[in-house]
Amino acid sequence: MLDLEPTEEHLAVAELARGLGLELLSPAAREAEAEQAVPEGVWRTLFETGLTVPVPEEFGGGGIPDTVTQMIAVEGLAYGDAGITLAAIWSGSAALLLARHGTEEQTALLRELAGNPDSRAAVALYEGHGRAPAEFTTSISRTADGSWRVQGRKVAVAFADRADPLIVVGVEPETGKLRAVFVPPSDPGVVIAADGRGLALDAAPTATVSFDVTVPADNLVGVAEDDAVALANTVGRIRLAVAAAQVGTAQRAVEYAAQYATERIAFGRPIAGFQGVSFPLAEAQIRIEAARLEIAEAATLLDGGEYGDRTETVTRVVNYAGEVAAEATRTAVQTLGGHGFIVEHPVELWYRTAAALSALDFDPLCSSFEPAL
Amino acid sequence: MSLDFALSKPLVDYGRAVKEWSATECRPYAREADDRHAPPANWPEILDTSPVPLGRVDKPEAGQVPDFDEGYWVTKLVFTESIGYGDIWVSPTLGSGIGHLVVESMGTPEQLEKWYEPVVSSGLPTGFALTEPQFGTDTSMVATTATRDGDSWVLNGSKIFCSSGASSEYVVVFATTDKSLGAKGINAFVVPKGTPGFVVTRPNEHKLGIRSWGTSALAFDDCAIPLENRLGWTADGSVPAKRSGQSGALGALAYNRPNMAALATGLAQASLDVAGEILAGQKAGFTPRRWSAVEAELTNMNHALERGRRLNYKAQYLVDAGKPDRALAAMGKGYSPQTCERVIRRCIQLLGPEGTSQDLLLEKWYRDVKIMDIFEGSGQAQRIVVGRTLMGRVAG
Repeated sequence: MLDLEPTEEHLAVAELARGLGLELLSPAAREAEAEQAVPEGVWRTLFETGLTVPVPEEFGGGGIPDTVTQMIAVEGLAYGDAGITLAAIWSGSAALLLARHGTEEQTALLRELAGNPDSRAAVALYEGHGRAPAEFTTSISRTADGSWRVQGRKVAVAFADRADPLIVVGVEPETGKLRAVFVPPSDPGVVIAADGRGLALDAAPTATVSFDVTVPADNLVGVAEDDAVALANTVGRIRLAVAAAQVGTAQRAVEYAAQYATERIAFGRPIAGFQGVSFPLAEAQIRIEAARLEIAEAATLLDGGEYGDRTETVTRVVNYAGEVAAEATRTAVQTLGGHGFIVEHPVELWYRTAAALSALDFDPLCSSFEPAL
Repeated sequence: MSLDFALSKPLVDYGRAVKEWSATECRPYAREADDRHAPPANWPEILDTSPVPLGRVDKPEAGQVPDFDEGYWVTKLVFTESIGYGDIWVSPTLGSGIGHLVVESMGTPEQLEKWYEPVVSSGLPTGFALTEPQFGTDTSMVATTATRDGDSWVLNGSKIFCSSGASSEYVVVFATTDKSLGAKGINAFVVPKGTPGFVVTRPNEHKLGIRSWGTSALAFDDCAIPLENRLGWTADGSVPAKRSGQSGALGALAYNRPNMAALATGLAQASLDVAGEILAGQKAGFTPRRWSAVEAELTNMNHALERGRRLNYKAQYLVDAGKPDRALAAMGKGYSPQTCERVIRRCIQLLGPEGTSQDLLLEKWYRDVKIMDIFEGSGQAQRIVVGRTLMGRVAG
């Protein structure tokens, strides 16, 4: 039955995450971008909250929150800075994948991931071209001797060069099943081309990674008989975090611009008094709320008892949140005018961040170009 | 408990039954209702065909809308969209007024007992007379006056755009008792039908859409009502008002705003479903590229409607939970109607010239839906509400 009341846990996580976002991540955002690395103290503090590396308690972690709760955490952290948030979430996503799908031997790795803040892990996921996981052209095929051959190309792989483990997600062509395998980054068949600086999100160094490599049979995450739908939904959760980060970024930008609009005087009154200023912000807020609810519903579906592949739902909401945040941050810059354009205010950072995120998992089928006028 | 976006099965089943019935039995009369500027003459017999109770005013023995665990307002939202899915003419025949919501918001316990509870249980139509010829959104400009004369209030002034004003049990009239007080001088008065001096000057305007809805112009010409008909007052006149007339009016509207969004959503969903079915039959006429564009458009429009629904469900969920949030209601009404206009227009475009023909109902629904972004708070007014939650009273 309809229940839209956040639980005590949701509220507590939201407060904790937003507090960390504002007090820890936000002040570090510029440095993280400049250094292309999250400052060590920030990373450690974030790591210790357990919000970013979900590991069950039996392996020394703080437990795996449900998807709804994790998305609330991501939104709150990204309210501070999405770049740092996603650096940590992406590194932590390998732990999530292992905890949910790994064999007993593989889950032993979780102790290291949960215990050592210096560890970095990666899930090589995105391919661009609007491809959903089932359409990935990265192939993971079984060879005659039972080992796995991985061929393909992945983009925006965070921490690819130092990831331990590096997990590659692809499709087994013979069965059409989604698969995940461990691939050693140092294998000669793995070519890592660092992306260098981008529009934003530089806190996590990313790379384009090409694979043509054969790995032993037990490098498969889980076993061959495992249900591919469950894996698809874990991948869905990793992708959904980007939508949550978009909403956190957009919410912060709108609030920042709204505050500015109440203080900045033009033609004898605060510019908030002009509907040309207030309406775009109000519309951005409406769209943010719509995206937030859509994320929450997608999260309940990923968590839910009802069996099914939620990939389409995730694709849709990630793309909607991408548009919403890109437009909301654009409105925020526009509200501040020339002040929004200079780095003394953070809105230009959010503008870049939202645009970069909106390109990450973009599917042209989810929207069509709409001219501004 | 964690979040759950799914309605309970009983409410889903009820909503589906209403929706299917409305599409099958009511929609065939849509053109007639539009042409004659009134519901079809045999509307009671049409309502008789419903397989589930609708909470009929004209025939209470046919049964009330059942109680569902979700609560009154969420149920009402499901009901309103499902009824609107057939056509726009059905809703007023079931009593869809909002005057009693002002009573609920501002009335004393005695007034609630007299004018709210009977209406909620019977579904009788109630009118809401706020707008006047010289103002709409700026509700501080009420010029209709209420003057105390012994044991009576005497109303003078004129009202326009009062839904079902000519047929309501009573009309809640907003009038000022002291113009020097501005918005604070505005009070709400219950004027029962038939009160001397209460004149229907025009039962129904000639309109772009919702032609079958009575949109009445009313005049109050030395219209005298008892003291206790002033909401928040007793016969002694001594009870301090819970809230001002202007705030009471806006509070009442806030509860109903998501329902108007739901009505728009019903029309847009109907357009999508009708257009989708016709287009499927015309698939061979499209190049493969165009056909996949058509399919993507239909999918994206359905999801846009779903986004509006989530906002409105959240708003009404909060009302049922006793924590109404005016900003969320404004978000829902700010989002859905304008999006629904675009959806219906896009469906018409996808169908081409056939889409504009009166052989179909899309042209009618495109006319009907326009008012949803205007009445009960325009899209602009919703943006002001949301803007003020962000920026405070200073926001334009």
